[in-house]
Amino acid sequence: MIPNTKCECGHQNLVGTVLCESCGKPLYDEDGTQPLEMRYDGVARRSQKANPSWIDRIWNFFSSVKVAIYLILAILVGGALGTIYPQENTFINIDPAVYYKERYGTLGDIYYKLGLSDTYGSWWFIALLVMLGTSLVICSLDRVLPLYRALSKQQIRKHPQFILRQKVVYRGEIKEDAEQWVSRLAERLRRKRYRVRTDGTALLAEKNRFSRWGPYINHIGLIIFLLAVLARNIPGWYLDHFIGFVEGEPTPIPDTRYYLKNERFTVEFYSEDEMAESFRKRGEVVPKKYETKAVLYECVADCGTPGKQPQLKEVARHDIVVNDPLEYKGLLVYQFDYAETPRLVAVNLSLRNKKTGEAYGPFRLSMKNPATEYEAGPYRLTLKQYFPDFALDDKGVPKTVSNEPNAPAFVFVITGPGMPQDGQVYLYFPREVDKVKYRQDEINGAFGAEWELSVGGMEDVEIANYTSYLNIRVDKALPYIWVGAAIFMIGVVMGLYWQHRRIWLRIDDGVLSLGAHTNKNWYGLRRDVAWALRQTGVEVDPKQLANEVKKT
Amino acid sequence: MNWESVSSTFLLIAFILYSVSFLVFVIAITGQRWSARDPRQHARKWGWIGFGGAAVGLAAHLIYFFTRWYGGGHIPTSNMFEFLTFLAMMIMIAFIIVFAIYRAPVLGVFAMPVGIVILAYASVFPHDVQPLIPPLQSYWLSIHVTTAAAGEAFFAVGFAAGLMHLLRVVDFKETSKPARREQRGVEFTLFAVLLIVGFVGIFFVFKSAGYSASFQRETVSIDANGNEVTQTETVNYVLPPIVKPFNGTVLQMDPFLGMKSPLFEAPSWMKGVNAGRKLNTVIWSVISAAVLYALLRLVFRKPLGAVIRPALQGIDPEDLDEISYRAIAIGFPIFTLGALIFAMIWAAEAWGRFWGWDPKEVWALITWLFYSAYLHLRLSRSWHGRRSSWMSVIGFIIVMFTLVGVNLVIAGLHSYAGV
Repeated sequence: MIPNTKCECGHQNLVGTVLCESCGKPLYDEDGTQPLEMRYDGVARRSQKANPSWIDRIWNFFSSVKVAIYLILAILVGGALGTIYPQENTFINIDPAVYYKERYGTLGDIYYKLGLSDTYGSWWFIALLVMLGTSLVICSLDRVLPLYRALSKQQIRKHPQFILRQKVVYRGEIKEDAEQWVSRLAERLRRKRYRVRTDGTALLAEKNRFSRWGPYINHIGLIIFLLAVLARNIPGWYLDHFIGFVEGEPTPIPDTRYYLKNERFTVEFYSEDEMAESFRKRGEVVPKKYETKAVLYECVADCGTPGKQPQLKEVARHDIVVNDPLEYKGLLVYQFDYAETPRLVAVNLSLRNKKTGEAYGPFRLSMKNPATEYEAGPYRLTLKQYFPDFALDDKGVPKTVSNEPNAPAFVFVITGPGMPQDGQVYLYFPREVDKVKYRQDEINGAFGAEWELSVGGMEDVEIANYTSYLNIRVDKALPYIWVGAAIFMIGVVMGLYWQHRRIWLRIDDGVLSLGAHTNKNWYGLRRDVAWALRQTGVEVDPKQLANEVKKT
Repeated sequence: MNWESVSSTFLLIAFILYSVSFLVFVIAITGQRWSARDPRQHARKWGWIGFGGAAVGLAAHLIYFFTRWYGGGHIPTSNMFEFLTFLAMMIMIAFIIVFAIYRAPVLGVFAMPVGIVILAYASVFPHDVQPLIPPLQSYWLSIHVTTAAAGEAFFAVGFAAGLMHLLRVVDFKETSKPARREQRGVEFTLFAVLLIVGFVGIFFVFKSAGYSASFQRETVSIDANGNEVTQTETVNYVLPPIVKPFNGTVLQMDPFLGMKSPLFEAPSWMKGVNAGRKLNTVIWSVISAAVLYALLRLVFRKPLGAVIRPALQGIDPEDLDEISYRAIAIGFPIFTLGALIFAMIWAAEAWGRFWGWDPKEVWALITWLFYSAYLHLRLSRSWHGRRSSWMSVIGFIIVMFTLVGVNLVIAGLHSYAGV
C-alpha cells in the first residue's frame, strides 16, 4: 500500500516525511501533545525510499546515525584494547611470537595470538575506519540535500499544530491591531539580528542558519583527513626509516639518492645551577640537548656502482635537535635516539723502519670503505684483503663476521725500494687488542721485525664516540592532513558555537500562537523570545515558555 | 626572592579561597529554606558572594601560575603536579564562563569541588620545578597542553552538571530494577570521587607523620651479548606497605600498628618495581574511601545521593541537562584543537609523525570518539536527560584516565609527564 502523503494544505510530500514540507503539519501522530520531532525539519531522507534495491539497502545501512555510533564505539573499544600491551612497532628487532609470551606471560601470548599486538594495522581495525569514512559520506549526503531544500523554501505561515507543538511556545491574546503588533515585534527581533519575514499576521524569524551546515563541513574535513591518511600508500608519498649514523662517515639513505653525514653528535646535561633548588636535591641527571651536526649530500654519479666511490654533492646542512629537524625538498630528518659507540673511524698511518727509525707517510686509512692504493714516500701499498670484523673459522681460515668495523684487519702488499719484486705481504690490525689476540707480529715474521705500520700517537686516531639514530621521513600527505583538520575545526565551531534559531507565529482572531525551535541552547532562545515579547507589551518569564515544564 | 615559594603560597591561598567559595555556594542553595528570607534573593546574594570568592581564588591561582612560569623559566605544564594544577585552574575558568551564561549558583556546589579535588590530587605529586628534557623544549608545550586542558575543563563542568542532573532525577525511594541500578550508579560515582579524596587524605596523614618504607629488588636479565646483567631497583613507600613489590626485599620499614613486614606480595605479572607501590596505593585509596563512605552513611543513615538530592529540588532538571550539554559542546572543539590537532602538529615536528598510536594519543582519540558519540546521540531525543548525563559522567572518567591513568598504568612516550 502506498501511504497517502498529501497534506491537507495540498502539498505532496515524499514518503518518509514527518512534517509537511510546506505548512509543517505533523503527518504522523496528528493528535499527539508531545513536542514534535524536529530533526532535519521532518523531511524525508534519501534512505527512506519505498522499495529499496540492494544499492539502496547498503546506502540505508551506512546512512544510519545509529550504525555510525556503533562504528565509533567499536573503534573506541578496539583502540583501547590496543593500549593494553605495547604494540609490535614500538620495539625494534623482536620476534613478537616469542617476545609477548616471554615478557607478558600467557596473557601476552593470547594478546599476540588474537592479533592485538598489531591492533592498528589489523584488517579489522582498518576496515572499521574505512566503514566509518563511508558512513560519514553517506550520512552527510543523505541528510544535507533534503535539509537544504527544506530550509531554502520555508513557508512563513505554519499550521497551528506545528507551532504549538514546539518546545518553546506561547499562546495569548493580542489586544492591539494584529498586523501592527507583528511589525513591531519584527523590528525588535531584527535588533537581535534575526532575519524576519512576515506574511500578514504570520511571521518567521530566523537566525544563524549557517550553523546547520557545520556538521556537514566538519564531515568533509574528516573525509579529507582520512583520504590523506590513505594517500600515504601512493608510492613515493611516504618514507619512514630509522638509521644509525656513526660520526664521520656519509651513510646512504635507502630508497633515495641522498647520503647523510653525522659530523658530530653532542649530548648536554643540565648543570646544577640550572636546576631549581628543590630539584637539585634529587640528584637526577637530566639531558638538556641532543644535537647532530648533519650534512646532507645528493649522489650525482656512481651511486650504487660496485667498486666505485659514489660522487656526493653537499645540498643541506643543519644542526638537528629534537623539535628542529633538517628539511630539504620534502625530506625530513629528525633526532630520534643516540648510543655511545666508541668506534674507530680511521687511522693516519706511517710505514716505519724499526731499525733506522725512518718513517714514510702518513696516509689515511679509513675503516669503512677503505681505498685500495696508498703511497708512503717511495713505497706503495696495495690493499689486498679487508676484514671489517675479523675472525678465524674452525679451520683457521680468516673471515669477517659482519660489515661493521668491530675488529678491522687489513692485508697489504708493499712494493718499493728494498721490497721483494712482487711485493711484501703485511697484515695489519689497527686495534691493539686484535694485534695481540691474533699475533700480528708473529704472522708478519722477519719483515715485521724490521718494518711496521703504525700511528704516531693518539692524534692520528679518529674515533667516533656516538651513533646518532635519526628518523628519515617523507610525508607528502601532510599538507592535506592539515587542510582536513582545519576544515573540521571550522565546521565544528560553526555547528557548536552558533545555533540555528527560528520563531514562528501567527495571530488568528486576536489570539497569538508562537512557537520557537533551536538545535541547541534552548535557554538562549527562550530569553530571546521573552525579551522580544516583553518589548512589545507581553509580560512573560523565559521559563514559562518551556512547553514541557508547563505540562508537568 | 624565591619565586618558587611565592608561587606555592599563592596556590595555597587559591585552594583555601576555592574551598570557602564552595561552602558559600552550599549556603546559597541549602540556606534558601532558612526562615525570614526570600529564597530567590538569598540564592542570588550568596551565589554572587561565592562567585566572587571563586574569582579571587582564580586570581591567586593565576599569580601562582605566572610566578612559577617566571621563576622556572618555562610554562608550568610539564609534569603531573603542574598539569593538574593547571587543569584545576582551567576548570575554574570554564566554571566561571558557564556560570556567567546560566547564572546558576547550584553549579558552584558541584563544579567547585571537581576543581578542588583535582587541585588536592595535584599536591600528591612532586612539586619541584624540573628542567625541560629536549622533547619538551618547544613552544608547542604551552599551546598544546593549555588548549587540551581548557577543553577537558569544559568536560569537567559538563560532568558536574550531568551528575547534578542525575542526583536531581534519580529517585532513591523507587525500588524497580532500573531505578536500583541508577541509584547504585550514582553512589558509585560519588564513591569514585571519595577514592581520590581518601587517597589525598591518607597520603598527607602518613607524609606528615614521616612514615617511610623502602624495598629493593634485583632483576637478572641477559643482554644482547649473552651476559648476565643484574639490575638493582629501589622503591620508596609513603604509605605503609600492605603489598610489597614482587620479589622485593625490605630495606627499611617503619612499623605501623604492629605491622612489621608487608602483608602480601604483588602478583608476578606486576613486573615493574613501581607496580607494587601503585597497587599498594590503590589498596589504601579503596580502604580510606570505604571508611569515609561508611562514616558518611553512619552519620546520614541513607545513601549519599539521597542526602544531596533534596538540595536540588528547586531546580529544573532540563536546565541541568542543557548546561551539561552546552559545556560539552563548548569544550569539544577546544579539546579537538588542543588534544588532537595541536598534538598532531607538535608530534609531526618533534617525532616526525603526526600520529603514532602511542597510548596517550590513542586515549585522547578515545576521549574524542566518546564525546563524538555523545554529540551524535543527542540528535535523538530519547538520549536527552538521564542517558546523556550518564555519558557525561563516563566521559569525564575517560578524560581522567587519559590524563592520569595512562601515565600511571600504561606509560609510553608521554611517560615523562608521569610522577
